[in-house]
Amino acid sequence: MSTMKTTRDVKGVGVSIPRPDGPEKVTGRVQYVADMQPKGLLHAKLLRSPHAHAKIVSIDTSAAKALPGVRAVLTAKDIPHLKKKAPTRAHAVLAIDRVVFMGQPVAAVAADEPSIAEEALDLIKVEYQVLAASIDPLKAMLPGAPPVADAGTEADTSEALAHSAVAIAKSEAPAKAVNISQQARLQRGDPAKGFAESDHILEKTYRVPMVHQGYLEPHAVLAEWDRNGLLTLWASTQGSFNTRSEVADVLGIPENQIRVIPVECGGGFGGKIRALCEPITAVLAQVTKRPVRYVMTRREELQAGMPAPQVIIKLKTGVKRDGTLMALDAETVIDSGAYSGAVLAVSAVFLGSMYKWPSFDVRGFEVLTHKPSVAAYRAPVAPQTIFAIESQMEQIARDLDLDSVEFRMRHLIQEGDPMVNGQPWQNNGAKQVLSRIAEHPHWKTRKQWVTEGKNGKRRGVGLALGGWLGGLQPTGATVRLNPDGSLAVLTGQVDIAGTNISLAQIAASAYGVDTDLVRITTGDTDVAPMTGLSAGSKTIYTVGAAVLQAAEDARRQTFEIAAAELEASVHDLELVDGKVTVRGMPDKGITLATIGKKGNLYMSKTPPVLGKANPAFTQQAPGFAAQLARLEVDADTGEVTILDFVIVQDVGKAINPMGVEGQMQGGAVQSLGMALTEGLLFDDSGRLTNPSLLDYRKLTAADLPNLETIIVEVPAPAGPFGARGVGEPPIIPAPAAIANAIQNATGARLTELPMNPERIALALVNGKH
Amino acid sequence: MRRFDLVLPNSLEDCLKILAEHGGRAKLVAGGTDLLPQMKNGVLKPALVVDLSGIARVRQVQNGNGLRIGAAVTARALELSPALRGAYLAIAESAAMVGSLQVRNLATVGGNLCNAAPSADMAPPLLALEAQAVIAGPGGERRVPMADFFTGVRKTVVAPNELLVELIVPPPGAHSGGQYLRHTPRRELDIAVVGVASQLTMADGRCTKARIALASVAPTPVRATAAERSLEGQAVTPEAIERAATLAIEAAKPISDQRGSVEFRKHLVRVLTRRTLTTALQRANT
Amino acid sequence: MAKHILSCTVNGEAVEVLVQPYVTLLEALREDMGLTGPKEGCGTGDCGACTVHVDGRVVASCLMLAMQVRGRKVRTIEGLAGTGALHPLQDAFVRHGVPQCGFCIPGVLMAAAALLEENPRPSEQEIRYGIAGNLCRCTGYTAMVAAISEAAGTLASPRSAR
Repeated sequence: MSTMKTTRDVKGVGVSIPRPDGPEKVTGRVQYVADMQPKGLLHAKLLRSPHAHAKIVSIDTSAAKALPGVRAVLTAKDIPHLKKKAPTRAHAVLAIDRVVFMGQPVAAVAADEPSIAEEALDLIKVEYQVLAASIDPLKAMLPGAPPVADAGTEADTSEALAHSAVAIAKSEAPAKAVNISQQARLQRGDPAKGFAESDHILEKTYRVPMVHQGYLEPHAVLAEWDRNGLLTLWASTQGSFNTRSEVADVLGIPENQIRVIPVECGGGFGGKIRALCEPITAVLAQVTKRPVRYVMTRREELQAGMPAPQVIIKLKTGVKRDGTLMALDAETVIDSGAYSGAVLAVSAVFLGSMYKWPSFDVRGFEVLTHKPSVAAYRAPVAPQTIFAIESQMEQIARDLDLDSVEFRMRHLIQEGDPMVNGQPWQNNGAKQVLSRIAEHPHWKTRKQWVTEGKNGKRRGVGLALGGWLGGLQPTGATVRLNPDGSLAVLTGQVDIAGTNISLAQIAASAYGVDTDLVRITTGDTDVAPMTGLSAGSKTIYTVGAAVLQAAEDARRQTFEIAAAELEASVHDLELVDGKVTVRGMPDKGITLATIGKKGNLYMSKTPPVLGKANPAFTQQAPGFAAQLARLEVDADTGEVTILDFVIVQDVGKAINPMGVEGQMQGGAVQSLGMALTEGLLFDDSGRLTNPSLLDYRKLTAADLPNLETIIVEVPAPAGPFGARGVGEPPIIPAPAAIANAIQNATGARLTELPMNPERIALALVNGKH
Repeated sequence: MRRFDLVLPNSLEDCLKILAEHGGRAKLVAGGTDLLPQMKNGVLKPALVVDLSGIARVRQVQNGNGLRIGAAVTARALELSPALRGAYLAIAESAAMVGSLQVRNLATVGGNLCNAAPSADMAPPLLALEAQAVIAGPGGERRVPMADFFTGVRKTVVAPNELLVELIVPPPGAHSGGQYLRHTPRRELDIAVVGVASQLTMADGRCTKARIALASVAPTPVRATAAERSLEGQAVTPEAIERAATLAIEAAKPISDQRGSVEFRKHLVRVLTRRTLTTALQRANT
Repeated sequence: MAKHILSCTVNGEAVEVLVQPYVTLLEALREDMGLTGPKEGCGTGDCGACTVHVDGRVVASCLMLAMQVRGRKVRTIEGLAGTGALHPLQDAFVRHGVPQCGFCIPGVLMAAAALLEENPRPSEQEIRYGIAGNLCRCTGYTAMVAAISEAAGTLASPRSAR
């Protein structure tokens, strides 16, 4: 397939064109699901379990049903045709006889007003028999721990397969450890010997709590059945085809009976991929024969969303005094909540694959606990994993008095080197981004800068490197020539990152017109070609490639028609300013509009130009980012002020630099929150103690400086115009960069996130420096 | 929110009549910044809500001999009020820290006090300045010193048939200065892990009155009386400040929760007492 | 529960609507007046997505009862632009590519508009504090601050068109 293509002389690839949906967003005109108000709308609310683990003894909905304005009250008994054993969380539409996390839906109400639905929930009487719960993953993975999964269900690895596309070797489960739902082990060489020969051995345990993706628009879906039994779902989703498949599977109806219309999505970041609210909303709509809308409250999102997993990494490294890497031993425990779904392979791979370890033993376990189950969050488990390995590498460099950058560069993988699973690293820009950040004045002047702290503040500078393998998913696109010479591009790709304008730029450059003449339509599942998730840093890489190929196909068809009209060879033609002409003879030509009209005229012999592509992909394109932080610490209170933050990222080719920068900054700020203030804090009973945005702390504008972005372009061999996926790499290095800067400022090596003021202040008070 | 009836009294008298009849089942709303979240979470389910926004009496700030602050004055108004300068600055500082701008334009000082969360930011400065609460009820108005106002977590002396109408802050005298500081993990949209207000009145190089009030370290805002006594009659040297900062910890009986541990809170009491005393001294001496 | 008549001014126009006593200003704007620009991101005043102006001041409309704006002036994102052209803030946001998912944008613009009305030449820190009550998860705020700064220049310059 095509690789590097020269941009025709049009306003296309490489230009910072503002997104065309800007005006409707700044005027508040754009519609989200919660803004839709069809006639007869009913409002759904869910009654959720107050216990992390309990048997449901009885449910009495009679009082709720009697409340005026209530149109339906459902429990699992009312939907017996749905799957009995729940292999995934989506299948557990309403809890049948047992609840496995606090917040699990037990009953559903549809009412005329949200207030009435709330009151109806108060009237539902549920009798529970509380059972012992597994909350701490390290305890949950021991034999004899209270079991989470229904006996006989398989671990659900669909999420893992969607995101990592990395093959891993399986190994045997420890006997009777009922809550270990996935595991992996990767080995090379003789680590014991490597450790025996090491001069410096460092053992640390890194911990990152569950965090929420933090999208500002809560989950929302509107469901309505028509008289022919067709279900329409208007959904805030990152993948309309995936939603359709999941809902079809859960409800047991054919996919052709469901139409998913993706509505503007107010943020997803991986949390709006798996079905969550759609099945129950669809059932309520079916039962009431009315349109039903369910919008999660923020409290529900935090208590019962699909967060990122808790990750605990025990890391032991052995190194010679001169910095030669000898051995790495790692155990990753990923707390997936009540259902399997973590991308275990990613952690296992990244721990040992960033640098060339001659011997390693990497073990990974996914553990189930009685907490809300997890889903992806922008580069799932990579920020947590890189937090571990990049903190460790930095600490080794500190301990051995080695230069941070030189030490990494010396051992950094390059194209062709084997990852821990034996597969070779694809072409990537890891070395380039690391070199580039080392050239930054903030890095070069760091030794002087840290001495200039004022008012008793301690200064530190730190950096880190991380990358993402880059997702792949088959897809399709069409490009149509309109009778006025403009182009219409159709994909099914939900635009969550501003990719539509980039796709338009790709189509424009590949076909040969200005981007202004290209319109991208995101079709729903009835009309669009199959497409995959807007996730995995692959929209431009895959859908962009499909659009490129479809545009080239359309261009080929256009030239064939022109060649016939002009009685010339296609090889002698060129397209300039909307006209196909014979090279060197500008008067001998035919306009695109003419070709477009001819393809749509009564009795015309000219076909309509319809470019099409439906590719699948085999070659991943890793994207790397290096980040640097300059910060100050108030040693008494532990407060951190980030004064400067730099993001260097290899994007292959910046199709739309403005859009790329937005992704770089947004991604970094998400994991700066993970680094400093965020965490879902569960108590020993499995109750979330911070279910509001007051106590689940996302960073505000006042907590941050301007983020500097530096784009590096190491072309991806198979990327459209050399482009790589952009969305995930920037979230990966920030926590490690901050940890390294805090260590530089205070001497304290923090290994548990968030590195909030309490942890920093007490580390200093207790002399950990 | 669950459904409720709403009444909109136009005067204090109307409001008191409503409370006399319905006080037990009613909740008062001014800014709504504490009440509405609690109602949305199902912690409170009042059948009747009484809106105070139509009552003029509770909305003014007057500066004469001392201050009179209407209970429904917003945090933002206090933040910007020219009357809250000089010796009263700590009140404006505490008001400026509440939530965010969108919250400060709604939140009232009366609501902050009557909601009586241990972390209420405006309580410590008012305690340190020895304010009095003016409470209207069926029998007229009564005054309660701030030190007696809070009785427990989210509990005050205001009865269901009463309304806090205003706060009276006596003039602290010449050469008095104070500061309120709190620690929060974020710079906005946050709630005090520990808050400290210090107020010092000086004469001839010695402290004639010291008041130190703490938030978030006990069921109610509390005064650090041992620390206060250690300063009164003394020159306020850095050593004296350090001694007071250490003594202030004695007044703190914090719990460990997801916002902070006992150890961290006690540590912060020392740090913030030290810092606010240092600034209070500078302000008193200017 | 009896409905109340809410009389107020919204985006410069006199309005009279019947509202339930228990609805918030945010709900009344969105459901009863068709102004869906202000959003609910949290319902507890912790995210700023519901920011509107009441009597010229930014408020969290999810924390006000609708009846609390009786007789008062309310302005939403729908009323930020004059007739026709975009407000300089909206224009700057578009040109700087600020909106990503767009959900926070109406609230941010209302906060920024109030900031510039009070402080026409804000420093970077003042801008950051001016929008500190508005959470955004997509952008990281840097482009927002740049756009607000540029719009401030446009608004403050004598030749700017309002």
